[in-house]
Amino acid sequence: MRLLFITLLLASLSNCTPSPSANTSQAEDRITLTYWSATNPDEVKFANETAAEWNREHPQIQIKIEVVPAGQSSEEVVLAAVASRTTPDIYASVFPGVMQDLLDARGVVQLDGFPDFDAVLNERMPPETSEQYRSPDGHFYQMPWKSNPIMMLYNTGMLREVGITTLPTTYSEFLAAATRVTRDRDGDGRVDQWMATIDYLPIWYKRMYDYYPLYLAASGGETLLQKRRVAFNNEHSIEVFRFLQECFSKGYVPRQTFQGDVFLDAKVAAKFSGPWSISHLERYRPADFEYEYAPMLRPDNASIQPVSYADSKSIVIFTTCRHPREAWEFVKFMTTKRNDLRLLEITSQLPIRASMLEDEVFADYFGRHPQMVRFAEQVLGARSVDSVSELKEIFDIITQEFEASVIFNLKSPEQAVQDAAQRSQTILDVE
Amino acid sequence: MQPSEAKRFSMWNRGERKGESRREKAERGLLPAAFRPLPSQSADRAGYLMVLPYVIHTVIFIGYPLAFAFVLIFHRWNIYSPMKWVGLGNIKLLLIDPLIWRALGNTIFFLLIHIPLQLIIALGLAQLLNQKIRGRTFFRASYFLPVVISGIVVTILWQQLYAYETGLVNLALREINLPRVGWLTDPRIAMVSIAVMATWKNVGLYVVLFLVGLQAIPSHLYEAAELDGASSWQKFRLITVPMLNPTIMLVLVLSTINGFSLFIEPYVMTGGGPVSSTLSGILYLYKQAFFFGKMGYAATIGFFWALIIFMVVLIQRRVVETEAV
Repeated sequence: MRLLFITLLLASLSNCTPSPSANTSQAEDRITLTYWSATNPDEVKFANETAAEWNREHPQIQIKIEVVPAGQSSEEVVLAAVASRTTPDIYASVFPGVMQDLLDARGVVQLDGFPDFDAVLNERMPPETSEQYRSPDGHFYQMPWKSNPIMMLYNTGMLREVGITTLPTTYSEFLAAATRVTRDRDGDGRVDQWMATIDYLPIWYKRMYDYYPLYLAASGGETLLQKRRVAFNNEHSIEVFRFLQECFSKGYVPRQTFQGDVFLDAKVAAKFSGPWSISHLERYRPADFEYEYAPMLRPDNASIQPVSYADSKSIVIFTTCRHPREAWEFVKFMTTKRNDLRLLEITSQLPIRASMLEDEVFADYFGRHPQMVRFAEQVLGARSVDSVSELKEIFDIITQEFEASVIFNLKSPEQAVQDAAQRSQTILDVE
Repeated sequence: MQPSEAKRFSMWNRGERKGESRREKAERGLLPAAFRPLPSQSADRAGYLMVLPYVIHTVIFIGYPLAFAFVLIFHRWNIYSPMKWVGLGNIKLLLIDPLIWRALGNTIFFLLIHIPLQLIIALGLAQLLNQKIRGRTFFRASYFLPVVISGIVVTILWQQLYAYETGLVNLALREINLPRVGWLTDPRIAMVSIAVMATWKNVGLYVVLFLVGLQAIPSHLYEAAELDGASSWQKFRLITVPMLNPTIMLVLVLSTINGFSLFIEPYVMTGGGPVSSTLSGILYLYKQAFFFGKMGYAATIGFFWALIIFMVVLIQRRVVETEAV
């Protein structure tokens, strides 16, 4: 009986064990690439759908989607992964400001080493846009992917109520509107309606959503540095500081925090915002709530077209990837027109792609989402950040001077800008 | 006296015997420590084995990190990239960096509030708790409780108390028709608020130290003073304070070192702001190391800070010892 049982068991086990066949060699040849997606649900959905389609079409190169592990910021997580050599093969949400760190760590693959890289890049965007993503050594290590230009968002109903029918485009138009919008509505002696809200917390990246877009608009797209020399010690920076200082000192911007969404609650008439706010506004706005986006404010005497901050993200392939060629094939797939449209549809984020507004592939989308047209117009002109490893510290220094001058009025704009420039140059000089 | 006689006399004078070996002399305690022969290897082995775990621990966890930090002073390193030699670059940066001097100024301001406040409150409470009062054990435990509660928990609790809009302190002020205060948002007040909080958190520890000191003072000194008609203030000034001098020194040194290590409070409550008014040296070091990835500069700040603490404690010792004399 026992012998029979053992015989049956061995027979069943032998049936379970796969026989050496064509399947085995196929499985051995199959490549699996790991792709880290940003954490927000829309981007995870985009990644899953794109990878599923790719996996169906390419059974020998499978993409495994993982969400970037939790951390204080995705940049820190990625750099920690580089240090411990636990990076995935592909990551699609790299902040261009962190590229120099990734390069210093020899963590990313040189993409313009692939023969068709230039063709793919030039098909998506003109050289004047792509050049800002080129590294100081003259090579491309990132594939510019998506952009969220920062614009001015206005509650047009509130502006109309005080007789303003044209959206402000300059500092003085904005300040003139602010004198009318900022007031005490319920007559209790305290102001309860303001012109704008600015998240003035002294955190370095917050300046990318107030000072930096205003500076880019004033300077016609000049970034903070030029070849490791500070370039923001100029009249444009001073004008931005002076404008923001006036907004705070005259009380056009509240210095307090509120429960809920201060813009949707019609407590303020304006804010700095990106395209991500459209879906939120559409979902939660009251029926009679009207809003509109406008280009970044600029100084009164500026004749140039306003440029804004791109808040862009790029795709990289890490040097830990054992199949960079196959990874590059997937990157190309991710950035096709069809997948750019998928990105728009699912995430409401704009691919960095030229002529979207004229392209019939995107025509239906922009017809259904007219607010996105304003952003699409800004995509190619919007500027990213300088690629230096001291970027975070430079923004931190600007934040400290911003706080001293704009918020607390302890320094003149001239002095604040000069101090920020001097300290920034000092840290750039220590090599 | 012949030379041989002189030598014999000298030997007799030193208690030595003719033909005595160095080991024998050492056993009789006739040789100074430096000239004593080393103990035999077998006798030593056990001793070395006994200290070995501590030596290993010291080398790995203190010696190596210290040596590595010293090497870092001359490098730029962000953990994930290879180290880059910068020579004296970090030291030059330290000398011209306005924020490190601001942090030093902030820390001294903090200490000027925190140490006197802590000394006075701790000594006062210790004096009270040294009396035979009802519920003495309960009070002793109560004052010590904040010391054992997690620093983060205490800091978050005080952050809520100090909140501008909804904090209990400002609500209380409003009840008595006083204006609200930006306890953590006004650059002139934020460090004072942190010093008060830190005093509340740490005072229990110093109460215990002072209690031990007070209980060690012989009661006959007070009895003699009473017989001489000394007032309470005179007894305190002329007996308690001088007798507590070593404890005062200990409290001064400990609170100075604690003050220079100020980190959790500004990190959680203010992030070093507003306008860098609560930026401490350790918080600045942390930011340089872990926000900006400048390990070399952080190590430079660390050594500079250790040097400052050493100098301040040395000065304190000198001052307190001079006053005691």
